[in-house]
Amino acid sequence: MSEGTLQAVGRPGSPVPPLSVEHLAKAYRTGGRILPVVGDLTFALARGEIVAIVGPSGCGKTTLLNAVCGLTPTDSGRILWNGVPLDRRGRTPSGIGYMLQKDLLLPWRTALDNVKLGTELRGMPRGLADERARALLDQLGLHGFAGAYPATLSGGMRQRVALARTLINDPEVLLFDEPFAALDFQTKLLIEADTVRLVRDGGKSVLLITHDIEEAVSIADRVLVLSGRPTTVKAAYTIDLDCAPDDMIGARESAGFSDYVRQIWADLDIPRTTVGGAGRGISRAAARS
Amino acid sequence: MSDAATGPATVIGTSRDAPPAPPRDGARLRSGALVLLVQIALLAALLAAWEWQTRQSPQSSFLFGSPSAISRFLWQGLADGTLLRDAGVTALETGLGFLIGNIVGTLAGLSLWYSTFVSRVVQPFIVAIGSIPIIALAPIIIIWFGTGLASKVAMSTLSVVVVALVTSYKGALGVDPDQINLMRTLGARKPQIFAKLVVPSSLADIFAGLKLTVGFALIGAIVGEFMSSSVGLGHAIFQAGSLYAIPKVFAALVGTIALALILTFLVGRAERLLMPWRDRH
Repeated sequence: MSEGTLQAVGRPGSPVPPLSVEHLAKAYRTGGRILPVVGDLTFALARGEIVAIVGPSGCGKTTLLNAVCGLTPTDSGRILWNGVPLDRRGRTPSGIGYMLQKDLLLPWRTALDNVKLGTELRGMPRGLADERARALLDQLGLHGFAGAYPATLSGGMRQRVALARTLINDPEVLLFDEPFAALDFQTKLLIEADTVRLVRDGGKSVLLITHDIEEAVSIADRVLVLSGRPTTVKAAYTIDLDCAPDDMIGARESAGFSDYVRQIWADLDIPRTTVGGAGRGISRAAARS
Repeated sequence: MSDAATGPATVIGTSRDAPPAPPRDGARLRSGALVLLVQIALLAALLAAWEWQTRQSPQSSFLFGSPSAISRFLWQGLADGTLLRDAGVTALETGLGFLIGNIVGTLAGLSLWYSTFVSRVVQPFIVAIGSIPIIALAPIIIIWFGTGLASKVAMSTLSVVVVALVTSYKGALGVDPDQINLMRTLGARKPQIFAKLVVPSSLADIFAGLKLTVGFALIGAIVGEFMSSSVGLGHAIFQAGSLYAIPKVFAALVGTIALALILTFLVGRAERLLMPWRDRH
């Protein structure tokens, strides 16, 4: 690394993206055979940008996310965080927030203590952590639920607590692996809107992995479509919709929305031989008209 | 139950996203009372049948000991203090064995989580030790620890330790790998993952082990007393049995059951105290 790059680290609007992935490849060995999962993947996440990644089932999206965090070692290619290559020893870089479909709340902790988990691990003073956690819970509409155990909360509320936990260390980049997939449609739209608002206000970058094309188009600045195994970037779309960024209904109603969805749907090239597959396609088309 | 919808800027939650409703306490209480009533009736019927049968012939009352004779011995043992003394000694042996065995076993089991290599190395040894019937060790234990308290505590500890090790290790292995990944992305180091995730999430399995080992600890202590002792419930049972004093055997047995119930109750209380989140559903 040259000195110039190091100086650029962390400055808003700097040309060095917070995350860039270059020619990433990863294969798994199962029963003596080598199964290439990620073929040759290159993309970058700009500061303040929301990038959604969609792809067919089993295309290695989760592998990609874990590799980016340093949780899974890669075979070749580079992962750069603010221009600095990821630690080979598998240490996760600081300044990232990670959220999955499972809320992964600790059942023995109250909502507040679950949110504070990351601050405890980093040794933040208790008073400050408490203040921040309460503020986040309030922002996410969970005022009065700080002392509740996860088992007493609904799925949507639990996922909000998980979001607050992800945000409390004030991460620069958020990595989401289908965080809203298990929620019902209405809850999902509300929590998506809140997430986008918090993320945009905080100037954070987001990498969102999802199966839901409408979710990808309504939230993201850019959508990357992945191919099947071995995975590469098949197509990229810059989403430009005529509505407020946190308006999930507005996004679905705006002019270009259905064209993006249709194009991405075509790119994914889902086989329509089964009755279920055809039914899904038709119901989606009907929902848009 | 309404959802939170009072946030200043963001209105969150819908009726479809409401928290799960708590179970109705009244219904649970009523069915609980019914269960207790049936239990008492069953016990009374059993005792009545027993009493009636043993009154049919002197042989029968000699062989099976009538409930009335048992209660006389129980009363006498309580009055002259012998039963309480025996129960106290056995309780001490059992309690010490239970505590030492569970502390050592649980610490060992949990710490196996730290190293897959070590756990793989020691696994066959654990299986081998776990498969030894504890009674087979009794002669050696008495030679090593003498005929006093120490040998019974050792027997009790040995009956408990492997079970505690296996259940706690199973608990530690059962931690969701995604949960560990999450901790790592939040910046946790291995000791932090152990203390904040592995130990608390193993508690359910550890407590299952504790409940199981109450009985094992008691068996260890009683078997130890059978082999050689001058006091304790096991001693009382053994002595009364060899004198054909069947009601006295049963009286000591009632003391043993009471001890087991008290210990199980204490473990249950400790569980509720240490895992409060399990109750508040």
